[in-house]
Amino acid sequence: MAKVNKETILSLIKQIRTSESLRMLLRNTRFIVGISILLGLVLFSYLGPLFYPRDPLSVRNPSLLPPSPEYPLGTDMAGRDVLAALMYGTRTSLYVGFLSAGIATILGVIAAALSVAFSGIVDNVVTAIISFLLSVPSMLLALVVAFYLPVRSYEAIALILGITMWAGFARALRARLLSLREEDFINMSKVAGYSTLRIIFEDMMPSVGAYVIIFFATHIDNGMVGEATLSLLGLQPSGGYSLGLMFSQANSQGGVLRGAWWWFGPPGIIIMLVVISMLLVSTAVDEIFNPRLRRE
Amino acid sequence: MLEVRNLTKIYESGLIKKQYIVAVDDISFEVRKGEIVALVGESGSGKSTTAKIILRLIPPTSGIIKFEGKDIWKDLSSKEELMEYWKNAQPVPQDPYSAFNPSYKIDRALHQALRLIGVDPQDDVGKRLIIESLKQVGLEPSEVLGKYPHQLSGGQRQRILIARCFIVKPKLVVADEPVSMIDASLRGEIMKLIVDLRDIYGTSVIFITHDMNLASALADRIFVMYKGKIIEEGKPDEVIRNPKHEYTRMLIGSIPSIYLKWRDVE
Amino acid sequence: MSKILDIQDLVSYYVQVIEGRKTYVKAVDGVSIEVKQGEVLGIIGESGCGKSTLARAILADFSPPFQYIRGSIKYNTKDGKTLELHKLSRDMLKKYVWGVEISLVPQFAMNALMPTLKVRKLVMDIMRAHFKEVNEYEVIENVNKVFQSIGLPPDVIDRYPFELSGGMRQRVVLGIVATLRPRIMIADEPTSALDVTTQKMVLKTMLDLKKREYVDSIIFITHEIGAARQIATRFAVMYAGKIVEESPTEEFIEKPYHPYSSLLLRAIPDVAQIMIQEKIVKVRDVLYIGGAPPSLINPPLGCRFHPRCPYAMDICRREEPPMTQIEKNRFAACWLYAKK
Repeated sequence: MAKVNKETILSLIKQIRTSESLRMLLRNTRFIVGISILLGLVLFSYLGPLFYPRDPLSVRNPSLLPPSPEYPLGTDMAGRDVLAALMYGTRTSLYVGFLSAGIATILGVIAAALSVAFSGIVDNVVTAIISFLLSVPSMLLALVVAFYLPVRSYEAIALILGITMWAGFARALRARLLSLREEDFINMSKVAGYSTLRIIFEDMMPSVGAYVIIFFATHIDNGMVGEATLSLLGLQPSGGYSLGLMFSQANSQGGVLRGAWWWFGPPGIIIMLVVISMLLVSTAVDEIFNPRLRRE
Repeated sequence: MLEVRNLTKIYESGLIKKQYIVAVDDISFEVRKGEIVALVGESGSGKSTTAKIILRLIPPTSGIIKFEGKDIWKDLSSKEELMEYWKNAQPVPQDPYSAFNPSYKIDRALHQALRLIGVDPQDDVGKRLIIESLKQVGLEPSEVLGKYPHQLSGGQRQRILIARCFIVKPKLVVADEPVSMIDASLRGEIMKLIVDLRDIYGTSVIFITHDMNLASALADRIFVMYKGKIIEEGKPDEVIRNPKHEYTRMLIGSIPSIYLKWRDVE
Repeated sequence: MSKILDIQDLVSYYVQVIEGRKTYVKAVDGVSIEVKQGEVLGIIGESGCGKSTLARAILADFSPPFQYIRGSIKYNTKDGKTLELHKLSRDMLKKYVWGVEISLVPQFAMNALMPTLKVRKLVMDIMRAHFKEVNEYEVIENVNKVFQSIGLPPDVIDRYPFELSGGMRQRVVLGIVATLRPRIMIADEPTSALDVTTQKMVLKTMLDLKKREYVDSIIFITHEIGAARQIATRFAVMYAGKIVEESPTEEFIEKPYHPYSSLLLRAIPDVAQIMIQEKIVKVRDVLYIGGAPPSLINPPLGCRFHPRCPYAMDICRREEPPMTQIEKNRFAACWLYAKK
């Protein structure tokens, strides 16, 4: 098994530090706007409570009040302060979204890298696993696993979602890495004494880096929605609260019927903002790293 | 110096009903120190596969390749031993476009060569070696250093690939169609650089091509490959004036020579 | 031999706007050339000299950023009309000229065959693009006749391109082009990336098509002089957007007049030295032309070759030499021969 030596990591860090593309990225309008929206949401959900210290889960408030100076986003059917609940829920959802997308990305990269680095049996096994996962409806799989899992936590949910998301990505990434493997510059690195692992990270990753980043960014909202689905079916941890749950409760507890837009509107808007921000970031990354799209 | 004995490479495909493709069929030859040897053949002849096996990129199915007495596939296993081999055997690839990773500047290719021989690209010795090697291949360092591959011409890129060899100074260079993607009028000039490697450092060269014009102009010996076998060998003037095998005769009759017109195409 | 194509002083540039300013890439900068019936004209030069662009210009394929600046392209059609191609609209060119009168086989055309279409389908598509009424049976019969005459097996028409080798694909393309019976077939690097024996087959095919009168004349654009000379009757050497020498093949090879031409010929290693003389000429004796081909945006003043020319004189640096007739049918643009 190839060793991850100091050289590989140092070169990776150096790559990132001196990367011209990175600097271009940080100046790109779309990237800045997208990241700002995301940062805004993070700040809102994590720092918001400092300015608005209402207990999000307390059901002592009068129920279904429209927005007012006292309750800026009103209250829900159970009597929760919607604004406080929104902050709390956003925290959870963002956490699950990022974690699940992160797990899927890492699993996908490892699987594709193993497949391409070792070929033969390893490749066959990985491809078989991918094919199996793709043939099973992912939500169903997630449901079944979540149902039987003794642990109920958001980390577990993120893990389950991550496992259902990585297969398609791994297959596409494997295809790209395979075609890269045939390029002459891979052979040139081999005869320069590079280890297989180093070749994957130094030679192949830059070409697919953008794709990996874009996959991660665009699946954060997948994770959030996936979590919402699981929560809808009651598979969330006890005491857990997320945007997805807010949504589903608004639906099931009659908030929608009664037109309590202050209840089901904001969670939807937040999710939409995540989608938009990640879309902006993705197109920016694609533009910067894809030389054909770059406006030199 | 390099001895190839009974080299065979068979590709298998298919899981249940297997198909076999014999790329290299029991070939044997030797390359002496300071010799330039040409492997001439058309596509499918096995010449490129042979090159990759000698460079230790693809494993052979059977046969022995000995470099200075050591079997390169059986006797070398540790990373250090492999690096030591590559310090002595380097390629000059065919495609100056795909031989560079487009995400990096061309400097990286030269840095890789320096690190192979244990020199730090950042210190003075390294920097001097890079400048020297670029000048040796006829490039002005300030014109090519710091540039990305797509910013340079094919000829410039090919010269940089040869500059790598001037840095490493290997005992053996395996050049697989090094000039086929370059303009006809620039080929002689670039091939001269490879001959320089032999003349200055005593490097042996295995030069793989389908261009008999080029092979005859620089090789000490020519090996003609056809369907995985070496069907003819000898000095260029022997092979060209007295081809023994029918395929060789056909090959020579198809050489596009400026000074000789084909009589069967009128 | 009658004239088919008469190009006078053709100038066409690529126009780019870089940082707000218009820059001109002078790829075709005052080219005058004739093509007579039955000849094979070889246009040779290094990469970047403008020869592929010249092919586009001959077809009057002017679309942004490629612009026609001035000059004339006179073409005599199969039924005796004279067309001024630079004056025709794109629609007219598509309908009456391209494919049916003058046809271009671009470099790597064999890779342009759509891999999921059988050859038959491709042929029908092309025919329908050119003619309103197409009888499939007739068309396929015609195409098969052409294919057969160039030695392709009869089942080629029902194959997919990926089933055919590179050489066969190239010949299929040539065959399809020939079916439309253009007067002039322009082939841009038809032998690149092919094995030597395949190259010979493709060259033979091109000549066969001419012999059987599927095409009248061929314009062969390449940097591989050894291949071109096997079928070319005349050579035109191109450098930096201009033609610097024109001459019948054998005389050109025996004694090139323009300094660039003679350096070009000596820069290519050739096996003939072994076959003709006793001495084996090793690569060390191959000359090379110092310097690099000039930029087409800012070509040198005066004669464009003067920075690399071993015979450069004062006047070469100041004035462009005119095309001068040196012998019957032999022309060169060089102050060594022009009178001042």
